[in-house]
Amino acid sequence: MKTISVYHRPDSLDEAVLLLERPGVTTTLIAGGTTLNTVALPPKTEVVDIQDVVTATAARQGDRVVYGAMLRLADLIAADETPPLLAELAKREGPNTLRNAATIGGTVAEGDSESELLSGLLVHDARVSISGHDDPIPLPELFADWSLLDRSVILSVSVAIGGETASARTGRTPADTSIVAAAGRVVGGGLNVAVSGVAATPILVDPSDLSTLQPPADFRGSSEYRREIAEVLVTRVVAQLGGAS
Amino acid sequence: MKVSLTINGEERALSCEPHESLRAVLRREGFFSVRFGAETGETGADAVLLDGRLVSTEIMLAAQAAGHEIETIDSINLPRGLHPIQEAFVDAGAIQSGYSTPAAILAAKALIDTNPNPTEAEVRDALSGILDRETGYLRPVQAVLRAAAVMRGEQHGKVEPALVEPMVAPGGAPDMKAVHSPLDLDPLAPRVVPSPEVPETNVVGKPERKVDAVKLAKGNPAFVDDFEMRGMLFAKMLYSPHAHARIVSIDDSKARALPGVRAVLHHGNVARVRYASGGQSYPNPLPYDQVSFDNKVRHVGDRVAVVAADTIEIAEEAVSLIEVEYDVLPAVFDENEAISGSAPVIHDEPDMEGAHDAERNIVQHIEAEVGDFAAGLAAADRVFERTFRVHQVQQAPIEPHIAIAWLDSDERLVIRTSTQVPFHVRRMVAPLLGLPVRDIRIVKPRIGGGFGVKQEMLIEDIVGHLALATGRPVRLELNRAEEFVSSRTRHPQTITFTTGVKNDGMLVAQRMRTVGNTGPYGTHALTVQMVSGLRGLSTYNCPNKKFDCDVAYTNTPVAGAYRGYGAPQALFALESHMEDIAAELGMDSLEFRRKNWTKVGDPLDVAAELGEGAAEMKFIPVVTSSGMDECVVQGQRAVGWHRRNDPAWVQPADRPNIRRGLGFAMCMHGSAISGLDMGGASLKINDDGSFNLLIGATDLGTGADTILAQMAAEVLGVPTEDVVVYAADTDMTPFDVGAYASSTTYVSGMAVKKSADEVARQIRTRAAIMLDVETPGDIELKEQAAFAPDGRSVALAEVALHSLHQDDQHQIMGTASYVAPDSPPPYAAQFAEVEVDIETGQVTVENLVMAVDCGVPINPLTSAGQVEGGMVQALGYGHCEEMALDETGTMVNARFGPYKIYRSDEMPKIEAYLVQTMEKSGPFGAKAIAEIPKDGVAPAIRNAIFNATGTQIDNLPFTPERVWRALHAT
Repeated sequence: MKTISVYHRPDSLDEAVLLLERPGVTTTLIAGGTTLNTVALPPKTEVVDIQDVVTATAARQGDRVVYGAMLRLADLIAADETPPLLAELAKREGPNTLRNAATIGGTVAEGDSESELLSGLLVHDARVSISGHDDPIPLPELFADWSLLDRSVILSVSVAIGGETASARTGRTPADTSIVAAAGRVVGGGLNVAVSGVAATPILVDPSDLSTLQPPADFRGSSEYRREIAEVLVTRVVAQLGGAS
Repeated sequence: MKVSLTINGEERALSCEPHESLRAVLRREGFFSVRFGAETGETGADAVLLDGRLVSTEIMLAAQAAGHEIETIDSINLPRGLHPIQEAFVDAGAIQSGYSTPAAILAAKALIDTNPNPTEAEVRDALSGILDRETGYLRPVQAVLRAAAVMRGEQHGKVEPALVEPMVAPGGAPDMKAVHSPLDLDPLAPRVVPSPEVPETNVVGKPERKVDAVKLAKGNPAFVDDFEMRGMLFAKMLYSPHAHARIVSIDDSKARALPGVRAVLHHGNVARVRYASGGQSYPNPLPYDQVSFDNKVRHVGDRVAVVAADTIEIAEEAVSLIEVEYDVLPAVFDENEAISGSAPVIHDEPDMEGAHDAERNIVQHIEAEVGDFAAGLAAADRVFERTFRVHQVQQAPIEPHIAIAWLDSDERLVIRTSTQVPFHVRRMVAPLLGLPVRDIRIVKPRIGGGFGVKQEMLIEDIVGHLALATGRPVRLELNRAEEFVSSRTRHPQTITFTTGVKNDGMLVAQRMRTVGNTGPYGTHALTVQMVSGLRGLSTYNCPNKKFDCDVAYTNTPVAGAYRGYGAPQALFALESHMEDIAAELGMDSLEFRRKNWTKVGDPLDVAAELGEGAAEMKFIPVVTSSGMDECVVQGQRAVGWHRRNDPAWVQPADRPNIRRGLGFAMCMHGSAISGLDMGGASLKINDDGSFNLLIGATDLGTGADTILAQMAAEVLGVPTEDVVVYAADTDMTPFDVGAYASSTTYVSGMAVKKSADEVARQIRTRAAIMLDVETPGDIELKEQAAFAPDGRSVALAEVALHSLHQDDQHQIMGTASYVAPDSPPPYAAQFAEVEVDIETGQVTVENLVMAVDCGVPINPLTSAGQVEGGMVQALGYGHCEEMALDETGTMVNARFGPYKIYRSDEMPKIEAYLVQTMEKSGPFGAKAIAEIPKDGVAPAIRNAIFNATGTQIDNLPFTPERVWRALHAT
């Protein structure tokens, strides 16, 4: 945070985008701002705070729920519209001090490999509306191409509702960030399974073929362990969903 | 920039920099209850309500808060008195150091405001953002439930102990029917198993309010940083990025040229004076292997230089401008490799003092033997040997190290510091600064936790050097990452037990071979390992014992004192080993231990060979009190021990991947360092019959000030609140070694009792004159008055006025000190219940029960809090905490979260029983309680995993992959 030289709080999306598009100026967009101190910002970084620009609502639209990107995780959990799996996994993002500040848009933008909520969003067919793009971007496409966020603002995240869901996880303690976690959803005969902790971001997987995973290792779990546990957890999730695959 | 916001209902326009955190700005505006815990916000010590919700202010820009409403604890503070939530925290014993209490109370307020009747799970969630290293969360959670009930209009009485009937008749067998009849007790009530030997008292033994509770509940300025000085400079350290390197050159010219920089210090401009940093009695144990700044660095995070500047931002920039050329050397991190003879030599400097064999990186070599181990082993029917490895963890007090130094009007150096050992610091820092002790004053205000890491002269020399160099006040605070790698940690050890046993289960020979890892400096290296040997070889009777220990220098972060001080390491190995032997012998694990554990009258023979005070020990101590039998049966009942042999419970039919298990560990500790630890106390009467108690003891949140006040009050016949405690200040209070070695209750307590006895004698003498009683000894002190045998009385206020103002004027006061000739061991039974996921290796700890014999608990409320909080720290040690170093020696998880300490919303059930015994050598029958809760959790979990899965795991902690690999290996 120490290298932040200017703080902007634009009143409109256009103003926010103009601030982000200035050539030669290093900018960082913040929503909740909870990860500002966890990364080394470049010198003379200008912060663009979008709290007055982007909505913080949860609304049902047909068979989807649309979350304004500024929606705090605590509000996402409390929203009647939120599918049960997402409420459960959002609670796992961190303690209440974090959930009261962190936003759904920020969580997507972080793309944390071990986020269980992101696995939940993947199986709920999440799509991300981003300024400058006419159509919402499916979450896997965003995870595959972060340049989609360059000088842009996440406006909302929508998820499909309905279906049967299940999740499983392994961590050091009950509230620990999971080492590996899996989430699954069956809807209309189709099965979505996503896994956290086995790739650069959470990913959708084919439950019948996990052998190609090459998880990044850290002190909590070697690559071998993460791959093996992904198999175990995916098997459990599929079993909870009635063995569909 | 200007930021407009509402703080506690008042609209404010504040000036701030764009980069400033909300915490920094709130503190600058005088909201001192918003405290630093971690730069990444995980501790919650910095939390406030923003628009009614609890948020971390460390990770929020002040500018983000513009237009919002902020509430700090001041929003509910009353001028005199407490808000119901504050009352509940005080009554429930939910406050220990109190550093994060304002944030916890705000969390409770936010919850109750929206949910007047919360469940326990909702309370635990509401507190999940406030990391508590002290209480184990039980009392804060119950306090919130209690507060909510009171605010709903329900009445609650005082928290009273639950008196639990003993189940072991003196000299008899346990009542097994009672053991199988579980109790249903109020979670908040301290469980006390009374002893008929303990005499009735009025204040001692009662759940009195902590004497410092009000200021802590209200977030009043009380800690080192809650104090402002005009013209204060901010210091920032430059630390080594290399595990082992020579400093070829330091160019500080760019740093010095930066406007606002007032001093840059490093090995080129600070006198080279050797010292040992451990806060221990004179003469400090060897080696003297440190200097304030060296021309060599020996671990990532070692000192290189320091800057003092007008602002912390300038200091940080200046640090980045110091150019250091390093000659990087090979490093070694493993203790066994380090002493192999082929490792790089870590201390090759010629002025090194006192290492055993510096060329082989052996700091200390310790040998001790009782009987003849080899002969005993030869006579054994069975011989068992097993090697264990315990890892490196950090004490992690929520308040990191912080000190402020300045020169007072007499040009004496004052250091206000978060320390456990103010008197040791004064003596130790003097030669480094080139000052006589008389010119130094150390002030210890409230401390936000220590757990041993502040039994160290860690940063006081730095602020002292800077204050002398600049003539201005200087503040240095470690951030969380620095606290992890640049302060002190628990010693990793490799421990091998070799044990000879007769077929009937009696031990005949036991050897403990230990290689300790002290990191690159030998602070506490000798004494921690000695305590390991002492605890490892004193717990059980055995005629032939041997301790053989090397302590290795390595290039890891430095080890030092950590609550338990070598005992948790030793007892993990010992109690795992004993469990395995019982299994091999086919004996019940409790019965095997009971045959061998030390009982009243048994000698603690190895104590004469080991321990810091061993040189002074003129006799072999014997066990004078033990409630071990009672502890075991109380714990058995509470944890449901009988289930461990039920296959249907161990392997639940409906959860095929789960195995359940119960584990036990015996614990035995000490009460102070006999012959060495000394505490002093001074007590004087005031005009109104109240008293000032001046003590050098250091309450880290343990409740020491409170129990010492209770002891004085008991002697003087007054309520606790009539004793006003002041501690500790080297100019004002008598000497005390400080808070370590479980010494405060036992040693400082006796000093207080002696000083109170003297004051009581003087009161009786004066009252005898006033009441015309011939024999002062016939006067009884009670109910704030002195009573003649015939029932006439004078109030202590009248005695005070008479003595201070009216006749033969005299200040009634007493000063006393005490050094313990003995160190009577507290005993405890630790039980753990776990679930193991055999497919993933995940261990879930479901229940921890500890029954402790601490003699007479002076305050059952604070005693229970010590056990509960200690168990949870120990849970972290056994289950999830670890300092992970990469191949360069850099800690990769120097942040809460990756360094995992338990939160309120993931806790197992925890329960503490206080089993009374009457320890006649202790004040009012007391023994120690602070450290023993750290000793048994790790082995109890290990043995529970063994019960659940049949797998023995000999390395800590029990993280999923380690357990998974062990399960696969078997």
